Amino acid sequence: MIRLNNVVASYRTGRGSINAVDGVTIEIPDGCILGVAGESGCGKSTLMKVLYGDILSPMTLASGSIEYGFVDRRGAPVTSHTVQQEWFRRVSYVPQSSMNSLNPVIRISQQFIDFPGNDPDKRRVLEQVRAYIGKLGLPAEALDAYPHQLSGGMRQRMMIAMATFFQPELILADEPTTALDVVVQKEILMLLMELQEEMGNTIVLVSHDMGVHYQVTHRMLIMYAAKAVEYGDSDSVFEAPLHPYTRMLISSLPTIGDDRARDGIPGRPPSLWGELRGCRFADRCPFATDRCRVEEPVLVEHRPGHFAACHYAGAEMPSGGVQWQ
Amino acid sequence: MGVMRYVAKRLGLYLAVLFIGLTITFLLPRLMPINPVDGYIGQIQSRANGSISAEAIAELRVNLEQLYGLEGDLFTQYLAYLKRVVLNFDFGPSFTYYPQPVSAMILNALPWTLGLLLMSTFIAWVMGNMVGLVAGYFHRKKAASVLEFVGILLYPIPYYILAVTVLLLLAYVFPIFPLSATFPVGQMTPEKFGMIIYNSLLPGITLVLAGFGWNILSMKALAVATTEEPYVTYARLKGASNWMRMTRYVFRNALLPQVTALALSLGMVFNGALLTEMIFSYPGIGLVMRTAATGGDYNVLYGAITLSIIAVATAGLVIDLIYPLLDPRIRHR
Ligand SMILES: Nc1ncnc2c1ncn2[C@@H]1O[C@H](COP(=O)(O)OP(=O)(O)OP(=O)(O)O)[C@@H](O)[C@H]1O
Ligand SMILES: [Mg+2]
Repeated sequence: MIRLNNVVASYRTGRGSINAVDGVTIEIPDGCILGVAGESGCGKSTLMKVLYGDILSPMTLASGSIEYGFVDRRGAPVTSHTVQQEWFRRVSYVPQSSMNSLNPVIRISQQFIDFPGNDPDKRRVLEQVRAYIGKLGLPAEALDAYPHQLSGGMRQRMMIAMATFFQPELILADEPTTALDVVVQKEILMLLMELQEEMGNTIVLVSHDMGVHYQVTHRMLIMYAAKAVEYGDSDSVFEAPLHPYTRMLISSLPTIGDDRARDGIPGRPPSLWGELRGCRFADRCPFATDRCRVEEPVLVEHRPGHFAACHYAGAEMPSGGVQWQ
Repeated sequence: MGVMRYVAKRLGLYLAVLFIGLTITFLLPRLMPINPVDGYIGQIQSRANGSISAEAIAELRVNLEQLYGLEGDLFTQYLAYLKRVVLNFDFGPSFTYYPQPVSAMILNALPWTLGLLLMSTFIAWVMGNMVGLVAGYFHRKKAASVLEFVGILLYPIPYYILAVTVLLLLAYVFPIFPLSATFPVGQMTPEKFGMIIYNSLLPGITLVLAGFGWNILSMKALAVATTEEPYVTYARLKGASNWMRMTRYVFRNALLPQVTALALSLGMVFNGALLTEMIFSYPGIGLVMRTAATGGDYNVLYGAITLSIIAVATAGLVIDLIYPLLDPRIRHR
């Protein structure tokens, strides 16, 4: 179990600092695929950086902590301060674009073994790598190639091979398929799912595509303006969302036999720079009341394992697609 | 594309460039309104107060035209020129040092210039790249800006000011090196060799300093841009050490444009030779060229120009042949 305790991550810039992740508290069970969704700028990537322990200026972990639920070589529990020692062995990451994430002038085999503390016997490691990428449907020669010689799909497979080679407990993937065409996208996601099922590790997957989340994830975290607004089992979240924002995200999913035009959600999220009062979604919420504009809702468990931060989460709301004026 | 085909193509291009260069050096002086033979005869006439007979002048004219390769029509001249230059590297005799052949003068001076300039250009490149790489890779660190400052300080100083300053400093204020060096010629002995190296240090230092600044700034800029590349970030997130990222990721990629710059500056060594050799009275091509230019010694000038063309074209060939070894994207196209 990975525990995030009131995680606040902020960026310090010339004109002050903003909290891009603002007090997120969730528990991620072991061996699940967690999907993270929300509009651009809501803090998904920042949350991923914090989870990975890549906390670099101008970003800081302003408060809160993360417990990874496993211990390091000396037996001490791994925290945000020590997780860097576990990179790729216990916690790994799949980059967004495989094209730019591989060094164009050295062979992929070289890039596969430049992890620190690797077995000094490079030949033996490479043999293992060769066998492993074969399992992922990559030809053995792909290892001797330079990045530009592989197709986009093969490169992204290679990135997944790198991220899973050491069988890490946690794999982070921030939009791992956005740069790929739809067919390849499917293949890559299927591969990730298969590997996860086999190794039983935890994957956190960021995607803009609610359809992907629906097909792939076990649990869902919905973020809005740096806050976690809904968190629960994917089945429950997709069947019966509690937060109006989640409903809107889901209703933007196309359904078969329905060809009404689908608009985005009207309005824009509030600026993180300004003063934030009450519910951050209130300005765009069709059900907002005066209470919403003043009192900030907290993330509360409304059903077993299903949390939402909305004053009216339990209340009856128009079911089906939400209608907008 | 096969390696042999690539090399053959580049070699073909190289020969074509040389050929065009030679043709232009042949044509240009012949398009000029002044005729060196007339000029030379006029000089001799005025020296002899017009006392030379018409037959003697006609004979002189024939001899001179032969020396300059001006006999026959343009095409015959061209063929004869190509034959002389390509087959025998023969540019005729020098006029100032008649009858010394130009090729001998050039070949005597060539090792001096090449030794000094290739060496100092290369040293400046290696040192500048190392300093620039560290300055660029650690550009967020205060200490690294000190390294860049060296480049900012050195780069804008005009070469002659730099050279004269170093000369005054290291030969006059602190007389470590001789103010006016002598470079022994003739049979090489170990003592003579040591003396040459010692006396070449001063011009060498000025050349290294002059090239150092540019290389620092250029490599620093390239390294800064490369550290922002996603593959360097990815390497960091894999936990690859600073050393690994700086050398295998940043340096290997930032190196590519720098190799081109090195080859180009090696191709231009004869241009750099002129000032250095004049300031330090260093017996290389630059000095030969200056003497030829002031004395109107056309054959020597053509020889030197041809040499420059060969140098620039060869530098281009070297880039083309080395680049695929460094950049697989060109190798496997
Ligand atoms: N380096 C930075 N300096 C200052 N502010 C930043 C920086 N990186 C991100 N932010 C701000 O933090 C907020 C969250 O950014 P983040 O990248 O986490 O969003 P995201 O949810 O991943 O968006 P997207 O879907 O577009 O990837 C944004 O408001 C953004 O402007
Ligand atoms: Mg993002």
